[in-house]
Amino acid sequence: MNDHDAPQLVRTFAALIGESRIRAPQGRETRAASIIAEPHDAREVAEIIRKCEADAITLAPIGAGRTLAAMRPAPVAVGVSLAHMAAIIAYEPDDMTVIAEPGLTLAALNRQTAQHGQHLPADPPHPELATLGALVGAAHAGPMRHAEGTVRDLLIGVRFAGHGGRLVHGGGRVVKNVAGYDLMKVMTGSFGTLGVITETTFKVRPMAEQYAIAFAAYGDVASASAAAAQLHHAAALAHLEVASPAASHALGLRGGFTVIAGLAGSAAEVAELSARTRAMLAAGAEIMTGAEAIAARERLRDCDFADAAIVALIAVPPAELARCLEPAEVEFVAHAGCGVARISLSSGANPAEACAALARIRMAVHAAGGNLRVLHAASEMRPGLEFFDQPPRAAFALMQTLKRTFDPHGVFNPRCFVGGL
Amino acid sequence: MSSNGNSRLDPHLIAELRAALGDDAVVARAAELKVYECDGWTIEKAAPEILLRPRTAAEVSAVLKILHREGVAFVPRGAGTGLSGGCLPIGAPVMICTSRMNRILAVDYASRRVEVESGVVNLHVSNAVAARGFFYAPDPSSQAACTIGGNIAENSGGPHTLKYGVTTNHVLGLEIVLPDGKIAELGSAAEERCGYDLVGAVVGAEGTAGIVTRATLKLTREPEARRTMLAVFSDVDDATRAVSAIIAAGIIPCAIELMDQLIIRAVEAAFHAGLPTDAGAVLIIELDGAIAGLDDHAQRVGELVRGAGAREVRLAHDDAERAILWKARKRAFGAVGRLAPNYATQDGVVPRTRLPDILRAIGAIALRHNLRIGNVFHAGDGNIHPIVLYDERDADQTRRAVAAGREILQACVAMGGSLTGEHGIGAEKIAEMPLIFSPEDLTVMSELRRVFDPDGRANPNKVIPTPGSCVEVSTPRRQVPI
Repeated sequence: MNDHDAPQLVRTFAALIGESRIRAPQGRETRAASIIAEPHDAREVAEIIRKCEADAITLAPIGAGRTLAAMRPAPVAVGVSLAHMAAIIAYEPDDMTVIAEPGLTLAALNRQTAQHGQHLPADPPHPELATLGALVGAAHAGPMRHAEGTVRDLLIGVRFAGHGGRLVHGGGRVVKNVAGYDLMKVMTGSFGTLGVITETTFKVRPMAEQYAIAFAAYGDVASASAAAAQLHHAAALAHLEVASPAASHALGLRGGFTVIAGLAGSAAEVAELSARTRAMLAAGAEIMTGAEAIAARERLRDCDFADAAIVALIAVPPAELARCLEPAEVEFVAHAGCGVARISLSSGANPAEACAALARIRMAVHAAGGNLRVLHAASEMRPGLEFFDQPPRAAFALMQTLKRTFDPHGVFNPRCFVGGL
Repeated sequence: MSSNGNSRLDPHLIAELRAALGDDAVVARAAELKVYECDGWTIEKAAPEILLRPRTAAEVSAVLKILHREGVAFVPRGAGTGLSGGCLPIGAPVMICTSRMNRILAVDYASRRVEVESGVVNLHVSNAVAARGFFYAPDPSSQAACTIGGNIAENSGGPHTLKYGVTTNHVLGLEIVLPDGKIAELGSAAEERCGYDLVGAVVGAEGTAGIVTRATLKLTREPEARRTMLAVFSDVDDATRAVSAIIAAGIIPCAIELMDQLIIRAVEAAFHAGLPTDAGAVLIIELDGAIAGLDDHAQRVGELVRGAGAREVRLAHDDAERAILWKARKRAFGAVGRLAPNYATQDGVVPRTRLPDILRAIGAIALRHNLRIGNVFHAGDGNIHPIVLYDERDADQTRRAVAAGREILQACVAMGGSLTGEHGIGAEKIAEMPLIFSPEDLTVMSELRRVFDPDGRANPNKVIPTPGSCVEVSTPRRQVPI
């Protein structure tokens, strides 16, 4: 069947799971999928998969459509929206674990857990849009990775519908568990290429009693990074960023290269951290507390350079990060303690220049032993742009085998992951 | 049982392996091989036909290429401190030991990374970086002997994983020699991955993906300070409720360990650590972090445990007092050896809030089988280690001890828990896998395994039950310290 014959696709899947479950894509979804199917449970997801495999129709799970629209060179036939699979199955505050369906947004989950002073400490931009499925599938993260790790460290159980409509689970709902192979790690960051996640189980963590955020401006990347490294060594922080001048400006700061540090804990801890941070940072360091601090943290989290020509995530050993951020055309929010930065390049007069700048940064990142992933590119930048780095040969051979094994019919979000998987 | 079926290795193959590695890297005499017939799971024993001790990844690769060509299965081994028979050769005539690949290759303090060969002993990593105020966080009780490669295979934990996580949270990159001899670099020193998380798939795969030869690990900063306390309870039920109370209050200690009365008395009889022998249970609770606020947290924990029924809370005033508490905990298993001719340790997990239920269930199981069962375990994680005392000279008692172990695991699963929190499935629990995984789950896991090892020659007959792999356990499980 032609992937793009939308009316035929609608008829096919309406016959399968009911007309009310099928709709046309809207907004950015149009770049992600030809039609949207909205299954109500894992069994319906499995039926969709079986039909897609039988008729060679491509499919991909879709949350808000941000990741899929950005990474797909052409839409998949069926976007499997999990908007109707958005329930909390079990939340045990005293165990600090939560089982939830993948269509639930991070913000909705955290509204529930906040009632018990807990949260899932993952903070990608715009958590009101980020579904748990996308959080896992795209391995999104934010500033809190500094202290809490990423979703890979928090996901303790997973269920997914795989090829043949098989319903599979790995892990469990206990925080320490080494029974069986770690399917959670396999699914995390697999971008819908191995199956459709139907349930997620996470560890949640207590929210800090108090939070403050410190800012200090520096004249260049190197001095800001050195100050950040010193602070990292001296104190256990909630998060630690270095923001470029334009990013600082977007955050409502004065500009310059800004070191941003999150200070969290009990009142006594935050007081001590604040004093220590103030003593270590450049003169004129500012510390916000209370609601003002939380609003600042949210601006920092949401700083995703949505209008830039190219946005990418780079990761290197932390000590190498500053060097990779030196090119003047790069704007960034860098998680200094993790060696990870979200960078943006504006197209300026010439898209080719932005692409060339990206290529230079990519080379620098590779030379530093790291990797780069494009998160978003304006349409004029797309032709010829590699979203993912090519893994080393032997590792890539394993990935090809993994993909063939989990997706023998090649229907799960094909041809846009690493190496065209 | 014989590990290797009927066929003996071809002498030409042995000669080729000798030529590839040199004579000093090959152990083939039966008397010397006896050392390698089991790990910490001593129920089943099987020596390999040959043991190889390569020095480099290139040598591992040369060996695996030869074995690949000949279709011969192999089992990796680190220090042999595993607790589930993970390096027991079952249908694998060749054992490959990583102990000579024991160099710490590079330390990057600025990036908090260390690159090590897989035969490096866990504690040696922390020792190497301690002077600069860092440590390697996963700390299994065998850390003075166990290797990083073994930790990676088992995804090892330890008392302090409550706060710091297990091995998989600290491994960024691996060099692995695949079963066909190809060398693959997985992950890197960077936190983000390029493509599928194959490092995450290999960590905890129990040596079934190949032989890890090198790893890039994260280093953790030493906390500024610690507060270690002993909470004494008349009733074990209250102690388990106190664990939930601490966690529910939003405080994450770096360790919460529980010892019940049987264990306390054994420890006191053996070592005179000053534990109250009339107590129903004690908790060792350790907090760490910035100095500011730590005493507040300690005070709050004190209030919480008293609220849960602790009759006494002692705070260790200095490192010496702290060391005594941890020594009591870590020597518990040695002490139990004085109580009965044999003991068998289980490893199960329940959701933390079910600790009171699982301990009551264990008590009922002990009563039903007329056995003594002690408990010393990582309470903060819900990771139990019941110790079943028995006398192997009494066949009926032995049978009851086996039955009790299995019933405890079944109870864990019924409470929403798991078969193993940190010891692994190995050969030991392979028959129990269907208690928590469906045939479909196990099929997918087998498929994942075949991505790395299409011929099933890397540590065969482990983790996933296949016809012939299930061991009929007629004697109880291990009796070595955890």
